[in-house]
Amino acid sequence: MTPQTPTQSPVVTIKLASTSDELLQCYALRAAVFMGEQQCPYWEEFDGNDYSASHLMLYVDGEPAASMRVRWFSGFAKLERAIILKRYRSMGLFVPFVEWAKSFAAQKGYPKAYLHGQKRLWEIFERQGFRKINEQPFHFSDHEYGAFAAELDMADDPPSVLTDPMVLNRPEDQLDRPGILEESMERGASNPHAEWTERRIN
Amino acid sequence: METRSCSIDGEFVTTRIAGRMEDTLQAFAVRAACFIGEQDVPYSEEFDGQDFGATHLLAYLGNEPVGALRVRWFQSFAMPERLAVMRRFRGRKVGQLLLERARALAESRGCNILYTRVSPGQATYFEKQRWRRLDDGQTPGARPTVALVRPVDPAKENAEIADTDTLALSTQYRLERSAAAVA
Repeated sequence: MTPQTPTQSPVVTIKLASTSDELLQCYALRAAVFMGEQQCPYWEEFDGNDYSASHLMLYVDGEPAASMRVRWFSGFAKLERAIILKRYRSMGLFVPFVEWAKSFAAQKGYPKAYLHGQKRLWEIFERQGFRKINEQPFHFSDHEYGAFAAELDMADDPPSVLTDPMVLNRPEDQLDRPGILEESMERGASNPHAEWTERRIN
Repeated sequence: METRSCSIDGEFVTTRIAGRMEDTLQAFAVRAACFIGEQDVPYSEEFDGQDFGATHLLAYLGNEPVGALRVRWFQSFAMPERLAVMRRFRGRKVGQLLLERARALAESRGCNILYTRVSPGQATYFEKQRWRRLDDGQTPGARPTVALVRPVDPAKENAEIADTDTLALSTQYRLERSAAAVA
């Protein structure tokens, strides 16, 4: 028998939130940090944009530890609501998480990432290739912000309308791997559908 | 006395039973803020798998969710737990209002006993609201808890709770912590 070597470093996983549970985890982390630590009112934290965005989750040994929301505009991806749970700070997670988000956006073909950085974090964003768009700070929800943008390293073969349609069907954080709909192709095209039903007037 | 209403800065706090996805999310957000954000409880302990077999009660100041309480239902008792009030709204009886709403709800369902487990430091808060200790014991471990009960019917305040055997049934569940973020 080989004695098992205990794992020294925690296992960090980053993924696109793709289930209700993962979304719930994301919302719980944001509530913990923004509402619990920063006293943000509920309706400012959950501002109506959560259901038109992508949510990124970072796990440490399977435990939800950090999350980020990404909204997709024409020409740039907006990174926002980025948080790390208190107990997972000082582990150096923020930089790789933002890098993951940048490369995720690049894989989708976005040339630019944009964010509103809290003033105390400006240096960190600058070290990660973000540049202030102008010297005009602004504020909302009790914090001062600056607008930053970073050029992204373009993917070799970003998705376009000429991309293989089945590649565009893949889960968005796994565009390089065959997805479940490609497996479904084995079933052929039997075109099943319900009979047309006339609306009945009672 | 039962807290049947409370107000903050002249505005009444309202309670309701979570009936929509959004209400439930608000309850989870309040708990996440208090337990995960303030008290550093791990996510997987706070969201323990019991949330979708329970009733969630919410307290609002206007539109803003300011408190939440989860109630689980057993054959012989109802179990209010996970009582959380947002920090800046504490000390205004929001927690008492939620506990009273839970009591009234249990009463409307024909339930006789409320049972909960809290850390020893929080027992006084409950004892002031007519809860009393089920026994002298507390669970061992890093986060000890004591068992508290109160009759649903305030008129039966001094009645003996005869059904302690059935209450023991609950220990098969993970009940390490129930209420904490109150004041």
